[in-house]
Amino acid sequence: MYSSQPTRFPVTHKSVSLDIKGNKTDIVICKYDDKFLVIVTQIGCMGTILHARKEGSVSTEPTFSVSVIFGKRDEPWLLACGRQLIEHISCSGSSRPLVLSLGLKDHSPETLKELTVAVIENCLCYLAAILKYAIS
Amino acid sequence: MASKELDTSFSELLVTEGSDSVGQSNKLEGQGSNDDAQITCFTEDLHDVTFHFQIIKLTKQIYVWIGCNTAKFGHLYAAAITRPNKTVAVTPVLGGTSDNTGSGIARRLVLKTGLNIIVACNIPKDSPTLEVTAERKLFEKLKSLGYIKPRPEGLPVRSAHN
Repeated sequence: MYSSQPTRFPVTHKSVSLDIKGNKTDIVICKYDDKFLVIVTQIGCMGTILHARKEGSVSTEPTFSVSVIFGKRDEPWLLACGRQLIEHISCSGSSRPLVLSLGLKDHSPETLKELTVAVIENCLCYLAAILKYAIS
Repeated sequence: MASKELDTSFSELLVTEGSDSVGQSNKLEGQGSNDDAQITCFTEDLHDVTFHFQIIKLTKQIYVWIGCNTAKFGHLYAAAITRPNKTVAVTPVLGGTSDNTGSGIARRLVLKTGLNIIVACNIPKDSPTLEVTAERKLFEKLKSLGYIKPRPEGLPVRSAHN
């Protein structure tokens, strides 16, 4: 469903609400000119915010840098989630960095794995689609 | 990290098409529950500048993005009320260490809404006029959405978001 506005809003977004291990989870993904923003929340706020980006030149294998810029810095699974997502974004053909916010009720590996799969399944396919649209 | 497990899971994924909201102001006010993320997008065309606003209302926090002519993400700030003396603390989260365009907006947003605020803003530095104009337009919208409710004496209070 598209609005009848004469000009498109320059930031595209998609929001999804689903259940992860019994917790209602809101996922919002936004595409800006120079970044992607993914908000995942179960607690009504953005929680821990991470920044993930691709490094390395075109001719070499890409490497990725992930860091917590706000919130919990002692949860390695959050970093692992960011690492998986930035790699998927990179494989989709984009070099845009990712700002990822994770406001979760638990940081267990099972939750993070299920969440990562859910984000990729529900949202990154959308990302890949809009990237292909932008490139074509 | 058990990346092999995730790789296996990824290969089994089916690409599903869901409803998307490309280019749409996806305002959910009046739809769904109050616990859902409520997203509002709008643009204000002024004489020589175009402001884009994106407001994502979560239960306990509001995220705001302000774009000045472009859709670049800009600098990211977090602001919240600190106890016990209820002052407002603002911190740059991404960028914004050499200039603080947007930090004042974040601070005043907390004062008006009483909620934790995350602001992303790409207004150029040393542009106080642009900052004031954007803030005014933003606050007008927040008031119309009910996120800021005016007091009877004319001063805003924290909105009833629960």
